[in-house]
Amino acid sequence: MTMQEFAPLMFAGLILIMLIGFPVAFSLSALGLLSGFIAIQMGWFPAAFMYNLPLNIFGILSNDLLLAIPFFTLMGAVLEKCGLAEDMLDSMGQLFGPIRGGLGYSVILVGFILGAITGTVAGQVIAMAMISLPVMMRYGYNMRYATGVLAASGTITQLVPPSLVLVVMADQLGRSVGDMYKGAWGPSILQVLIFLIYTFVLSKVAPGHVPGLPATARTLHGWTLWKKCLRGIIPSALLIFAVLGSMGGLPGMSYAIATPTEAGAMGAMGAIILAAVHGRLNWSIIRDGMTGTMRITAMVVFILIGSRVFSLVFQGVDGALWIEHLLSGLPGGQIGFLVVVNVFVFFLAFFLDFFEIAFIILPMLAPVANKLGIDMIWFGVLLCVNMQTSFMHPPFGFALFYLRSTADSLFKAGSLPGKVLSRDIYLGAIPWVALQLLLVAIVIVFPQTVTVFLDKPVQVDLSTIRIEIPENDLQQNDAQSEQDTVNDLMRGLMKGSK
Amino acid sequence: MKQLLAAAGLVDRVTDFFAVIAKWAVLLCAVISAGNAFTRYAFSYSSNGWLEIQWYLFAACVMLGAAQVLRVNEHVRVDVIYGTLKVRSRAYIDLFGLIFFLMPAMTLFCYLSWPLFVQMLWSGEGSPNAGGLIRWPAMMMLPLGFALMVLQGLAEMIKRVAWLNNAYEMNMQYERPLQ
Repeated sequence: MTMQEFAPLMFAGLILIMLIGFPVAFSLSALGLLSGFIAIQMGWFPAAFMYNLPLNIFGILSNDLLLAIPFFTLMGAVLEKCGLAEDMLDSMGQLFGPIRGGLGYSVILVGFILGAITGTVAGQVIAMAMISLPVMMRYGYNMRYATGVLAASGTITQLVPPSLVLVVMADQLGRSVGDMYKGAWGPSILQVLIFLIYTFVLSKVAPGHVPGLPATARTLHGWTLWKKCLRGIIPSALLIFAVLGSMGGLPGMSYAIATPTEAGAMGAMGAIILAAVHGRLNWSIIRDGMTGTMRITAMVVFILIGSRVFSLVFQGVDGALWIEHLLSGLPGGQIGFLVVVNVFVFFLAFFLDFFEIAFIILPMLAPVANKLGIDMIWFGVLLCVNMQTSFMHPPFGFALFYLRSTADSLFKAGSLPGKVLSRDIYLGAIPWVALQLLLVAIVIVFPQTVTVFLDKPVQVDLSTIRIEIPENDLQQNDAQSEQDTVNDLMRGLMKGSK
Repeated sequence: MKQLLAAAGLVDRVTDFFAVIAKWAVLLCAVISAGNAFTRYAFSYSSNGWLEIQWYLFAACVMLGAAQVLRVNEHVRVDVIYGTLKVRSRAYIDLFGLIFFLMPAMTLFCYLSWPLFVQMLWSGEGSPNAGGLIRWPAMMMLPLGFALMVLQGLAEMIKRVAWLNNAYEMNMQYERPLQ
C-alpha cells in the first residue's frame, strides 16, 4: 500500500464507521488512531505523532473562540424558556390576524426575531407550533401551509446571527465571527422576504388557504395590543443588538469593543437579567439552561476532538491533496465547484447532522474553495443556507419530526380540532424546501448578497476577476494560537525533563 | 451480574457528581467572562489570570461533563440505519462500538495525557503570560475526563449486557440532541 492509496481508504472507512451508528466522536477518534498507527508502522509519520495528540486536544480546549459555544447556547436556553415566544406569537398573531395570510406573516416574522434570540430549531418549532397551530387550524388555514410555514420559520434560527452554526463555521474557516455574522444578514433577510412573498402570492392565488381571522378573534385592541407586541420584541431586540454590536457583528461596524466570546457571555448574563425583568426567572430555568448547555458543549467538543485526530492523520497522508485533485478538475471553475459541493452537502445533510458536516466535511472542502478564490465568508454562509434545508427534508427532517410530535401532543390535549397527518407535514414541507433551494441559487449567483455587508465589499465579477486571498488565509488565527500553546507546552516539558 | 450492575450504578453516581461540577463551570465561566469584559471596558483593568480561568472552566465543562452525556445517550450519532433497527440490534451495535471504538480511544488518550499532567505537576509549569495561572489543573482535566469516559464506557457495557439478558431495565431510545 502506498500513501496515495491510504487517504481514499481512510475516507471510505470514515463513511463506513459513521453509518454504523455509534456516536461519531468515538468512532472518529478510533479510526484516526488506527490510521495513525498504520501510518507510523509504514514509516509515513514519526512516532512522536501519538505523543502530540494530548497537546492537540489541550489546544482545542484552550481555544478562546470555542468558549462562545456555551455562552450563546446558555443565552438561547434561558430566553427560550422565559415565555418570549408565546408572548410574541400571541400578540403578533392578533395584530396581523385579520389580514389574509396574517397568521403566516406573524409566524415568519416571529421566527426571524426568535431565530436571533434563541438558537435551537427544535425549541423554536415546538414553541411556535404550540401557539400557532391550534389557531391556524381553528380558523381554517390549509393544513399543509400551516405545517410548512411553522417548520420553515423554525429553521431560520440556523442562519440569523448570533447563530451557533456560524461560530463553528468561523472557527473552521479561520475567519472572524463578526464577519461571518455580517455576511449572514443578507441571506437571512432575503429568506424572510422570500417566505413573506410566497405567503402573499398564496393569499392572492388561493385565498381559501390562508383566510383572515374574523374580528371576534381579537382579544386585545388598539394600544394594549401594540404595547404587548412591543414589550415582547423591544427588550430582546435591544439585547441582541447590544451583543452583536459589541463584537462588531452588525453590517457597517468596522471595530469591536469585545471579543465574540465576551459578547456571548454578556448576552448570557443579559438573558438572565431580561428573564428576571419579565418576572419569569426561576431556578429551574437556570438549572435546565446550565445542564443543557453543558451537554451540548461536551458533545460538540468531543466531535471536534475526534475529527481533529482523524484530520491530523488525513492531512498527514496528503488527503487534502487527494480531495483537491478530485474537486479542482471540475468544469465551470468556481460555479461548477460550488454547484457540485452544494449538491453533495444537500444530500449529506439527509443523514449527517450539522456538526458532523462542519467538523468533518468542511475542513476537506475549504482549502479547495480557498484555492479557487472563493470568499470564505460567502462559502460558509452559502453552506449554512444549504444545510438549513436538511431540517426540512421529508421524511428525515428534524423540524418536521418535532412538528409531528408537538402536533400529536396538542391533539391529545384536545387543543386541535383534528389530527395532523404525517402526509400533510411531509407534503407541506416541499414548497418551503424549494424556496430554500431558490435562496441557495440566489446566493450562488449573487455573492453580493453576502459580501455587500462585509467591511470591504469585494466586487466579484466571476468571469474576469479572481479574488486574491493569500494562501495562508486558512492558517486561522486561533489555529495559530493553538499551535503556540502546543509549542509553549512542548518547551515547558523539555525544560521540565532536563 | 448483580455486583457488576451495582458497580455500574456507582459509576453513574460518580459521573453525575462530576457533571454537577461541569454544569456549574458553565455558569461560572459566563459570569467571569462577562466580568472580564466589563472591568476592562469600565476600569481599563484586565488580568491574564482571569482570562485564563475562562478556558480552564471550559475544559472542566467539556471533560467532566462528557461522561454523563454518554450515560444519557446524547453523543450525536448518524442514525440513518441505526434509527431503523430493532432495540436489540441497537444494543449490539452499542456494545460493538463501546468495545472497539470508545474504550481503545479513550484509554489511549488517558494513557498518553497522564505523563504530561504528571510532568506539569512536578515542574510547576506556569502560563507564559504575565500573571497567568499554573498549567497542571487544566491539564489534569484530560486524564481525569478520559478516565471517566473509560469508567462510564465499562458501565454502559455492563448495562447493555444485562439488558440483553433481561436482567436490567433501560431506555435505549436515541434522540438527536437539540440543535
